Amino acid sequence: MKLKGMPLAFCIILSFALLTGCWSSREINTLAITICIGIDKTENGYLVTEQVLNPKAIASKRAMNETPVVLYTAAGKDLEETIRRITKQCPRTIYNSHLRLVVFGEELARNGIKDILDYIARNHEYRTDFYFVVAKGTTAHEILQALTPLDTIPGINMYNSLATSSENWAPTKSTRMVELVNSIVADGINPVLSGIEMAGAENKAESTDALKQNYLKETPIYKMLAVFKKDKLTGWLDEDQSRGYNFITGNVKKSAGYAYYGETARISYNIVGSQAAMKVSLANDGKPGMEVKIKVVFDVNAVEGQFDITSEENRESLVDIVESTVITYCEEAISAVKNNKTDIFGFGEAIHRKYPKLWEKMKDDWDNEFPDLQINIAVSAKLSQLGQITKSFFIEEKQ
Amino acid sequence: MSFYNKILGKNGSVKKTHDKMRLSKDININIANLKKEFGYSDDLLINYCKTDAKRDLNFVSVYFGDLVDRSTINSLSLELDRIKNESGGKKSEMGSHGLINRISGLRGSKEGFDYETLYTDLLSGNTVFLIDGCNRYFSLITGSDKGRSVEEPSSQTVIRGPKDGFTEGLSGNIALIRKRIRNKALRLEILSVGSITRTRVGLMFIDQIAKEEIVQEIRSRLLRIEIDGILESGYIEELIKDDRYSIFPSFLSSEKPDSVAAALLEGKVAILIDGTPYVLTAPALMVEFLHSSEDYYHHFIISSMMRILRFAALLLTLFVPALFVAFSAFHQEIIPTPLLINIAAQREGVPFPTLLEALLMELTFEVLREAGIRMPRAIGPAISIVGALVLGQAAVEAGIISAAMVIVVSITAISSFAIPNYEMSNAIRTIRFVFLLLAGFLGLYGVFMGGIALTLHLCKIKSITVPYLMPIAPRIRGGNKDTFFRFPLWKMEYRPAGISESGTARVNAANPAAPRKRGKQELR
Repeated sequence: MKLKGMPLAFCIILSFALLTGCWSSREINTLAITICIGIDKTENGYLVTEQVLNPKAIASKRAMNETPVVLYTAAGKDLEETIRRITKQCPRTIYNSHLRLVVFGEELARNGIKDILDYIARNHEYRTDFYFVVAKGTTAHEILQALTPLDTIPGINMYNSLATSSENWAPTKSTRMVELVNSIVADGINPVLSGIEMAGAENKAESTDALKQNYLKETPIYKMLAVFKKDKLTGWLDEDQSRGYNFITGNVKKSAGYAYYGETARISYNIVGSQAAMKVSLANDGKPGMEVKIKVVFDVNAVEGQFDITSEENRESLVDIVESTVITYCEEAISAVKNNKTDIFGFGEAIHRKYPKLWEKMKDDWDNEFPDLQINIAVSAKLSQLGQITKSFFIEEKQ
Repeated sequence: MSFYNKILGKNGSVKKTHDKMRLSKDININIANLKKEFGYSDDLLINYCKTDAKRDLNFVSVYFGDLVDRSTINSLSLELDRIKNESGGKKSEMGSHGLINRISGLRGSKEGFDYETLYTDLLSGNTVFLIDGCNRYFSLITGSDKGRSVEEPSSQTVIRGPKDGFTEGLSGNIALIRKRIRNKALRLEILSVGSITRTRVGLMFIDQIAKEEIVQEIRSRLLRIEIDGILESGYIEELIKDDRYSIFPSFLSSEKPDSVAAALLEGKVAILIDGTPYVLTAPALMVEFLHSSEDYYHHFIISSMMRILRFAALLLTLFVPALFVAFSAFHQEIIPTPLLINIAAQREGVPFPTLLEALLMELTFEVLREAGIRMPRAIGPAISIVGALVLGQAAVEAGIISAAMVIVVSITAISSFAIPNYEMSNAIRTIRFVFLLLAGFLGLYGVFMGGIALTLHLCKIKSITVPYLMPIAPRIRGGNKDTFFRFPLWKMEYRPAGISESGTARVNAANPAAPRKRGKQELR
């Protein structure tokens, strides 16, 4: 039989249908779309909590009767095995490509997260655009139990909240796969993850009834930064220290703060932009020194008390105050991690780039040398705008 | 005409024995032959006229009663009466020579010698005169032009631009084009195609602008057609197309004389077929099927935007259903998370696989479209109600089809109507089913394989020896001024290379509003 043109094309198309059998085709409604994974440590392995989307609850236009997500947990020694074990309870295939957040329990984080990262990086199903956070003082399982308003899917709520706060509020940090792995693998830098905890650990919003209240007494809140030494959690940075960390690493996009001027006046400012640059120099004794130059642009938010912002002198002193505040944050952060002997800023990496030979000698003992590193912080602030009014209404004229 | 006969002579299915026969000197033999040849058709009218009883000087006028224009025939018979009277009054003064002179002197008369041309003349509605003792005949154009009057085209409507459209009559259509191009270089060749129908096919082009090879190619292809009948331009297109199996149209069919005139000015050849308002122009390039005559009447920026929209619409029609199926059945990871959640929520409870759902909806749309065309106009709105309410809303509310799929199908449908050419729109809509199946079976991989195959096919096919994707592949330097964008008229200085005789300028780039400069470009 002579096949040509159309019949041949027809046969080819037919063979797609008959021979391939739609290989690897999965309909969306056969997938359990995981939004959030919590991983905790158990005595002999992991406790995995999968927050799976419940599309039916989201689809309904009427008031929610079902929870928008369903939690499945399983325990086991091996991560993939444990995740597969979940299908014993769940009617659909666990689908992890749309993961938004991975929560590590604090205990797990203290024991190391390396093996988990290898699994996630190796598995083709995971994208790399989700965030990692650490459940502070609790388990990931606890964190995932909460329901949230606005973004009714808690995983997305937490993801968005972290993304917004790291944009608008200095003390949090959003860390993705590539950055996390890089900072574990590289010498002279250590990773930092945001911490998350439950505010008001009693009566969590586990059922949708809690979402009917306008004020949630218990909700996952980002708090503090988890400092890792390589892949192990070693300590926490409080809010000011976290802020200092982000200033040094140039992570601050927008932020707000305040400063006292003298006894009475308090000026609230808005940071609208910040840049940081590290410079390594060698001292006479051959030891490296670090200079961090931070540029900050800020607006004035509010002026409380007797402070005439229209005067040139006052404005200059305001700039000085802001600069010194930022320096204080940074120094607090540095002293905290120096105690911890963990270089989270990447100073070691900066030395490595500038003086590779010197670094070869130092790198093995860097954790002990880091606390002695001379770090000089220079902040240059720039006042950009005073806001919609100039002089405060309530200033008493002294004449 | 004799050349054509030679070609047809090879055709065994048509009897040719009498055709080359010359007319006899004996009028009675001629009349008998005529009657026999037409099988004594009742509408073949033969008027015997005797001018001189003694000398038996006779002539006859022959015509088809329903083909001729009554009023012309009436005035003709008055004329004939006068001839009779003249010859009757002055006895024997007018011999056969005189009669011949008198008849050949009639307005619009031409003479012929053989039966074949005689038949053609008769069948075109001419009145034929046979004179005793004369082996020639004389024919007068008396055909009736009765038909539709010039109306606005129904399939190609425009907002701005001429509203007249071609009709079924060939001569009227020729006039519409001649009126637009008042130039002696505009050529017309009438061929007759179809061994039985003898359909008149007009070949129009502008001399020195149209490429001689292309004109010759089309002419010889038309002459080589051997078919019993041509009823519409689609016959011609299908028969002389370069790639007969290709789904893509390789002739631009237009109902609008202004589009045809524009094509002629670009050096293309127009093929007019008697009995259809659709005039073909060739060579036609892929991109031209996405151009509209209106593009040249509006501001060039607006036209360019519309064109980009149309190209986008073409891609949407082709790929949206396929990509949607591929994404939602194979590559859910590509969909942004919020969108996936949305789609997942909609798909909850839908009993069909995405491919089946898409096929169902797309087929429903095709059925609706087909039904809408064939339905009597009065019932038209009912179809849209059924389509919109029953299939759109009810299917979604019943949970049989997801709302996203309805949106996908609507986008596809609307986009397909944005393609200005109906044939191209049909081709694209048909191909999208192939893509849909490929996506359903092989995912994105299938879509890309299909895309590659489609591109290869488009690169391969030709329209009258001109590559289909011409200004793009092969790329013509500076020839893309009228492809995706419509450049200002004064920037399109030369006619499209490869189609017209190369290097012929069509516009002087100088701005007439600017102060005069010396050394103007010579225009043809």
